[in-house]
Amino acid sequence: MNYLFVFSIFCLLFTSCVSKKELYFWDKYDVSSYLYLKNIDEKSTQDLITTYEAIISRQNEIRKVVPPGIYADYGFILLQTGKTEKGNLMLQKEIELYPESKIFIDRIIKMQKE
Amino acid sequence: MKYRMFFLLPCLFLFAGCESTSNIKKSVAYKGIYDEKPISILLMPPINKTTNVEAKAYFHSTLLVPLANKGYYVVPPFLSMEILKRESAYDAELFLNDPIAKFGEVFGADVAVFTIIHSWNKTYGNVKVEVEYIIKSTKSNSILFERKGTINFNTTVSGTAGAYGALFDLVLTAASTIATKYVDVARICNTYTFKDLPVGKYGVLNPLEPDELSGKKVFTANLNSQSK
Repeated sequence: MNYLFVFSIFCLLFTSCVSKKELYFWDKYDVSSYLYLKNIDEKSTQDLITTYEAIISRQNEIRKVVPPGIYADYGFILLQTGKTEKGNLMLQKEIELYPESKIFIDRIIKMQKE
Repeated sequence: MKYRMFFLLPCLFLFAGCESTSNIKKSVAYKGIYDEKPISILLMPPINKTTNVEAKAYFHSTLLVPLANKGYYVVPPFLSMEILKRESAYDAELFLNDPIAKFGEVFGADVAVFTIIHSWNKTYGNVKVEVEYIIKSTKSNSILFERKGTINFNTTVSGTAGAYGALFDLVLTAASTIATKYVDVARICNTYTFKDLPVGKYGVLNPLEPDELSGKKVFTANLNSQSK
């Protein structure tokens, strides 16, 4: 009887309380990117920048590195807002962290110089 | 009687947590993915066949997270969107049945994800979505992953922001709370469907994964904001 009771409790805990850690920390990326996509105004741009900065500075999930696309898109937004130096730095960081991005990011850097 | 109840109750909970699977192993269902081992994914702008103009943005903004969390390199969504627009390639429907090798050359993408939103119907406390996902190789032009879901999403379950945290909820305006509710719907549809995708280069590899049963190619699911 006691064993069954303990087993039942264990099963309940197991099914309801297992929380998997994700590869990356995303802050409120989905909502910020949606609002930016929809509005592309100063407020949504600033909100997205804040989200990118949080993602970049607070990685403590499984991989402990910035997720794919974040440095590059952050760099893109910075370039759009006239912050060329920092924007280019972010594009380079994307290549360093994710070498598979090189083909595309190099193309962007080249386009920008033209 | 008491013994039976103690045993039955946890079993019900265990089964409630299971999702419906096909009887096909992942190694067979997603053979193309295991063979080609794609690393980088290009997000094509979703194809919106509904009258809800917002649906496209709901899905587009929520594709990066589940695919990156599966271990794939996802081509930067906003940067790629800008280039697709400049190259007059923003209408993904034009490329659904055509060779897409060019996307491999320009974006360095091994595959492209097409999302087709077939329907989006709101009723009180519920959103019913029909959505299809196609992952197509830029190398072989083959379809490597294809799932179509009819998802009933219960919007009355609280805790909409989930991982975003309670604090964020407090600072949202009433208008954007409605928006985030529907962003949540798209996010969970995407996450649920791509949960079946084999793990990519940066993911946590599981040697037993190819022997796991794949999810159904055409499925129905009842989800809410607490669903993973």
